[in-house]
Amino acid sequence: MDPTHFVHINTGSPEPIYRQLIEQVKRRVAAGQLRAGDEIPSVRELAQALAVHPMTISKAYSMLEMEGVLERRRGLSMVVAAQHQKAQPTADRVELLRPTLEKAAAESRQLELPKASALQLFKTILDEQAS
Amino acid sequence: MSTHFPHTETPSAELAGVSLSYAKHGPVLKSLDWQLLPGQVVGLLGRNGSGKTTLLETLLGLREPDAGTVRVFGQDAGRLDDAARARIGYVPQQSDLFEGFTPAQLLAYFKSFYPRWNEAKVEGLMSRWDIARDKPIRKLSGGQQQRLSIIRALAHEPDLLVLDEPVASLDPVGRRDFLRELVEQVLDRGTTVVFSTHILSDLERVAFNLAFLSEGRIALQAPLDELLEQVRAFTGTVTELASLFSRLGAQPLKRTPLEAGRERVLARLPAGVAVPLDAQAVNLEDLFAELT
Repeated sequence: MDPTHFVHINTGSPEPIYRQLIEQVKRRVAAGQLRAGDEIPSVRELAQALAVHPMTISKAYSMLEMEGVLERRRGLSMVVAAQHQKAQPTADRVELLRPTLEKAAAESRQLELPKASALQLFKTILDEQAS
Repeated sequence: MSTHFPHTETPSAELAGVSLSYAKHGPVLKSLDWQLLPGQVVGLLGRNGSGKTTLLETLLGLREPDAGTVRVFGQDAGRLDDAARARIGYVPQQSDLFEGFTPAQLLAYFKSFYPRWNEAKVEGLMSRWDIARDKPIRKLSGGQQQRLSIIRALAHEPDLLVLDEPVASLDPVGRRDFLRELVEQVLDRGTTVVFSTHILSDLERVAFNLAFLSEGRIALQAPLDELLEQVRAFTGTVTELASLFSRLGAQPLKRTPLEAGRERVLARLPAGVAVPLDAQAVNLEDLFAELT
């Protein structure tokens, strides 16, 4: 797998880079874009592609391994764990959005927005990206 | 990755109780303590004029402190032997290249001082970074001089690399390329790196640990990941916050008084404590603004 397009990171975010990596890999596995047995870039490849400290990458991979998303194959390469044969059901995938939407909901309450306006904006954004 | 954080080894550099004053400016370093462990990549953060360059020069034994001890690889930094000296690479903020030399002459000259010299790396970087070998250094652009200074610092495969604003004259592509080179050093050699820059996005990528220089001391040193996860900004009355912090076991890092007995406090929560929902997450720029 091409390490330069495997994940993207945002600097300047309050979310640590290793967290960003974990969440992106989880989303791609949940969506079925990454499936059981798919090989992922090595720590070295990804550290060099992203110009990120290798410990940041290995920390993310270890946590993904502990959570059963990745598994270590004989030798050193890591692959997507065997249980992830296909995309997760919609109900499970939508749960992955919860933390982001909770944040958006808190901000919406701070702004004292009517629910309908906030929902309309989310819908508009979804439609924009789709077109 | 087992070369990282072997706490039993001698620190690559260790400063204890270091004070230094300039006749005109007064004290710059005030009984400063600092340790760089083998394999760490530490980003040094501080405002302009906070003494970052002075600190790095003192660490290298280029300035003698008024008080305190500075040790590099276990030796007194002011009296390093040749073997220890050969294990250090330094990119100073002000280019100190001999301007009358060509890059080829300069590198040949430095090569004669070092027992180890990675010719393949030098040649590779000279081509990749497009540096004219036979043009006088004074005629190279600021960015090219900076690249040449970086090549010189990496050529002898140092175990300790000290970088003082190494990328100020490089464009974003040049900076990314330099960061990749740094990552490779860390991967291949477990090099200890200390890196001062105001380009926070670069630090965020490569510096696993951050050190904040403030009022002549290292006010805080910690892994960036931990700071982003544990440091939050709280706003409330002084008494509210005091009781909240004692309940959470939070450690206040910076207080900013507001009107009507209220304050904004940046505080670090103990690892694993549930973060209160109304606490505000911070990014590296916030940490820099509040802690330096």
